[in-house]
Amino acid sequence: MSGARLHWKRGRQEEGAGVPPRTLEWVGYNNAGEPIARVVRVQGPLSLGWRSFRAVAMDEAASVVELRPSCPPDGAAWLACVGPRVVGRADQPLRAVRAVEDSLGDD
Amino acid sequence: MSDTPLERIRNIGITAHIDAGKTTTTERILYYTGVSHKIGEVHDGNTTTDYMDQERERGITITSAAVTCEWKDYRINIIDTPGHIDFNIEVNRSLRVLDGAIFIIEGVAGVQPQSETNWRLADRYNVPRIIFINKLDRTGADFFRAFDTLKEKLDIVALPLQLPIGEEDKFLGVVDLVEMKAIIWEGGELGAKYHYEDIPPDLVAKATEYRQTLLDTAVSVDEKAMEEYFEKGDVSVETLKACIKKGTISGEFRPVLCGTAFKNKGVQPLLDAVIDYLPSPIDVPGIAVALDEGVDETLHPDRRRIPANPKAPFAGLAFKIINDKYGTLTFVRVYAGTLKSGDTVMNTTKGHRERIGRMFQMHADKRAEIKEVEAGDIAAFVGLKDTGTGDTLASSDDPVVLERMAFPVPVIDISVEPRTKEAVEKMTLGLQKLAGEDPSLRLRTDQETGQTILSGMGELHLEIIIDRLRREYGVDCNIGAPQVAYRETISKPHTEIYTHKKQTGGSGQYAEVKIVFEPMERNGGVVFENKVVGGSIPKEYIPAVEKGIRVQADTGVLAGFPTVDFKYTLIDGKYHDVDSSALAFEIAAKACFREGMKKASPIILEPIMDVEVTTPQDHVGDVVGDLNRRRGQIQNQESSGSTIIVRALVPLKEMFGYISHLRSMTKGRASFTMQFHHYDPVPRNIADEIMAKSA
Repeated sequence: MSGARLHWKRGRQEEGAGVPPRTLEWVGYNNAGEPIARVVRVQGPLSLGWRSFRAVAMDEAASVVELRPSCPPDGAAWLACVGPRVVGRADQPLRAVRAVEDSLGDD
Repeated sequence: MSDTPLERIRNIGITAHIDAGKTTTTERILYYTGVSHKIGEVHDGNTTTDYMDQERERGITITSAAVTCEWKDYRINIIDTPGHIDFNIEVNRSLRVLDGAIFIIEGVAGVQPQSETNWRLADRYNVPRIIFINKLDRTGADFFRAFDTLKEKLDIVALPLQLPIGEEDKFLGVVDLVEMKAIIWEGGELGAKYHYEDIPPDLVAKATEYRQTLLDTAVSVDEKAMEEYFEKGDVSVETLKACIKKGTISGEFRPVLCGTAFKNKGVQPLLDAVIDYLPSPIDVPGIAVALDEGVDETLHPDRRRIPANPKAPFAGLAFKIINDKYGTLTFVRVYAGTLKSGDTVMNTTKGHRERIGRMFQMHADKRAEIKEVEAGDIAAFVGLKDTGTGDTLASSDDPVVLERMAFPVPVIDISVEPRTKEAVEKMTLGLQKLAGEDPSLRLRTDQETGQTILSGMGELHLEIIIDRLRREYGVDCNIGAPQVAYRETISKPHTEIYTHKKQTGGSGQYAEVKIVFEPMERNGGVVFENKVVGGSIPKEYIPAVEKGIRVQADTGVLAGFPTVDFKYTLIDGKYHDVDSSALAFEIAAKACFREGMKKASPIILEPIMDVEVTTPQDHVGDVVGDLNRRRGQIQNQESSGSTIIVRALVPLKEMFGYISHLRSMTKGRASFTMQFHHYDPVPRNIADEIMAKSA
């Protein structure tokens, strides 16, 4: 990895009846133990009452936010976030982790 | 069948486009695993799995052959399947009963039409698979170009586990991206000797880049492995292999290996990949039980499945039948339970009992008698009286019916008649047996001419059948020219009322039916619905109406071809207490069909073929012009090295004898393959010709 290395841990999980829990986000900590980055699973479509969203993700406060543009590039199911800033999208969580670390290395 | 635990069994198939090297790869596998002591070659006609005379003479695989071998204490049951589209039924039924497959892709041409067709079949049956890019020693071979066609044509996440070291005549071995080592074959001893060494310096950067992709993709399927990766910055080889296996089984990605089976390089790591990444019978969710006819399977993903468990009640699927001098052999994949010679099981598809006689483990055309089979095994049973391809055999303790098999629609007809009158009975018996073995072969008698009509998947398919009739049953036949298997359908709805009334002394005949005929989409089949209310037709006569239409639909109103893709709804009718009968309603339904169909804008459908011509560049103009004259629609042209691949949709009628024309047009340098694509209405002028011929 070319950028700074963070310590990654499992973040929030989605639990469904009869299925093993699925990780919705991986949180990246710096050497001081502060969470500074996240890799977040893109979900959707989601229907909430009368509105439906094609792609959503959780923000840091665990609120569901709508993504725009809603159609991710081919297969990009993970967001790479540093603080509130989205620095990349990737089809695999590990690739999103690399995007985060590369972006920190560039700073 | 043996002491091998279930987790050490692999039931796999080897499948590919024609001439991609399936049989050659199988031969190497048998040699390296010690099953055979010499390597047979397709061009020498001495391979193990191509055991039929016709296979050895023509150098092609016609029937799928089962062989068993051992590799590193694992038992691998392999089915080598044909590549030619005419024998697609063999691929279909093999994939249906296998737990995994090796897809061989040609290193020069990449993904070819038959690979695509077989890939879709494997998708239908959720078969985990690994890809082997073969023939990298050939002139024009290019691993990366072939690899790109995987994404383009199959729309998959292809994951290289190896990179080639050298290409064409300088192909030496592979870089193993899991172990990050080079594997070099030493030449001599038919490729049995190879060694590991450091990755050549000029490949280190590329190997590092591809390993990163491998890690990202594979490790991402397992969250525990991700944690290991975050902690250590890498994962162990065991963890990586476990992740690759998990992703292969779930279909999230498809591992890609490479080599050249003919030059004996790359086969041993392929065997390692089979045991490392393809599932054992207990790694897959188990076969699903069948739903009622016509129910959409995709709407019932949670239906019951039968897991591989030798202690559960017996359940197996008959997937292949062959007749030889010793009798009828029925190949069965055992999904659950244990069965011994002499046991009795239910044929739950047909609802009768079958006693199990002798049982064999098959090795191509050779057999070894066994006394017991259990979950996970593939074996051949002798002595089953009435069990056909696709039938379920199950214990009466749990008489399940397993998921059905789908069979392709025949597109070519020929008429056959024996050269001597005395041979009529022998021919009929022989054809019935051959049709019993091969569900893509249909046999019928033309009601008008009395001729026996054979319907099959292509000219080669029917040619082989006639040849087998001569060799195996001693019947020489005259055959008619191949005919297109046209179909008829309707293009607008129509409601018809027909009254059948006959009074010729004694009890009369009376039946009236009112039927709505409606067109359905292609491949919709023939669907019946009964909407009669208030008893205007008594219940006991309804099946006669359904039967009457189905029988009459075999002879269409335009040119006598089977009528398909329509729905008929019985909405009303009348009956007479004394004169009505099932026969009267059947006759009324038949007449109602004949009258009603004429008014529902009937049309004739013809099979359209997906044709792929591979030609040198200087003949492209001739090939394209000729395909256009044959009513072809050019789909695309791609260059592959020094050759051009032209893909077109062409009516089958225009393709008879195409190979000899293509050869003369290109001085023998071009070749083509074709497979059925869809049925389309024929143009008016051709429909008129067809009707005039049948009049």
